[in-house]
Amino acid sequence: MISMIDLLAFAQTSSQASSTYYYLIFLIAWIALTVIAFMPGFQQKMYILFVSRDIESGLAKLENLSKSAKNKTIELLKKSGAKNAEELADKFAEWFVIDPVNIEPTDIINRMKLLIRTSEDKIRQIIMLSLPNLDPVTRSKIEVSAEILNALNTIYKVVRHYLLLGKKLQSYYILLQLQSVVPILVKMAESYERAQDVFIKGIPVGDSLGPLVASRFLMNVNEKWNPSREMVAGEMEFEGRKLIVLKAEGPMATVGTPGEAVENVINKLEGKVSRIITVDAAAKLEGEQTGSIAEGVGVAMGDPGPEKIAIERVAAKYNIPIDAIIVKMSMEEAITEMPKEVYEASEKVVEMVKQIIRERTKPGDTVILVGVGNTCGVAQ
Amino acid sequence: MSQSSQQQKTVVTVLKCLKCSYTIERPFKEGDFIPKIDGTCPNDGSPLYIWAIYAKPLVEKK
Repeated sequence: MISMIDLLAFAQTSSQASSTYYYLIFLIAWIALTVIAFMPGFQQKMYILFVSRDIESGLAKLENLSKSAKNKTIELLKKSGAKNAEELADKFAEWFVIDPVNIEPTDIINRMKLLIRTSEDKIRQIIMLSLPNLDPVTRSKIEVSAEILNALNTIYKVVRHYLLLGKKLQSYYILLQLQSVVPILVKMAESYERAQDVFIKGIPVGDSLGPLVASRFLMNVNEKWNPSREMVAGEMEFEGRKLIVLKAEGPMATVGTPGEAVENVINKLEGKVSRIITVDAAAKLEGEQTGSIAEGVGVAMGDPGPEKIAIERVAAKYNIPIDAIIVKMSMEEAITEMPKEVYEASEKVVEMVKQIIRERTKPGDTVILVGVGNTCGVAQ
Repeated sequence: MSQSSQQQKTVVTVLKCLKCSYTIERPFKEGDFIPKIDGTCPNDGSPLYIWAIYAKPLVEKK
């Protein structure tokens, strides 16, 4: 066998001395890399490095979006006259609601309702304490800003937590799962951040579809009342039927309490209602057209539980059929400016509601129409 | 929605006359809401009210 010295001597004396020298270096490096690559744990460390880099880039975007939402909230608070705007924004960002105990589900709806209402009241109280003369529209804009800031801050902190945990435990599988959801979370966060601008300007959003349909009926009603918190109702006659229309009280950015409102109205009428019609925006599946309309049965409402169940319970108590009309849109379209396709769909939904009343009720009946959704920029 | 698709949309306010069929479209202004009374009809002097506010593409599809 030829020794290394002989090989080198040959390399130095031959006409291709320098190329052989480089070939040898390449060969040694290649062998060294192959050996290192097969060492236990090396590959995993490389995977962790690449996955972490990818997550960190998404995390940087989430951090920027969270900071931007905070700055916008501070700006809105300062514009409204708050002297402790930074302190308030910090409080909103870190606000939390503890979920009710669900291993014992008895009465969970009432407990959930209490926690949701307490949280809303507390946020409102914090705002009104600093800005006692605030008008309801600006207050609702600050409340929505606070919710968006809270959501973005939570997303950022949870992603950061799992990134640091994955790196600390050197767990490729934690990081791999995180890497697969971060692009979705970044897209969601970008939508929230854009939604904040839209709500601050008071522009109707895609989710305002339900209140817009209700407002078309309420426009000509002079006598209106508040059946529950942040809800408005109006009674009119439609082709011999008594039509009671309900929506959140606009143009504030609020969804109101539609469940409680329907419950109160039906109880006051002692259950003498022939039909409940609910209209809401709904999330479309990929491939479906924005503004496409579908009709079904049940309460059309994207509620965590208390409002939707209130309608279901009162309807079941008095055996009242519930119709649902939905207009499809993406999650982003639901929380940003109402697309033209959704506005055009609202006109068709008004006609559909009239058709349902004509076909499924008779003169003398009482019908309830509920326009579900955020009524930002849509009064009555 | 991507940055490019955001730039391609504009928010408009559609006003209608309470009495005649007059309709006008203008860019959205902060403070607009449905059905706010805003201005008068050039045809018959009746109040104009905001009928719709929506986002539409800057270049309409043919």
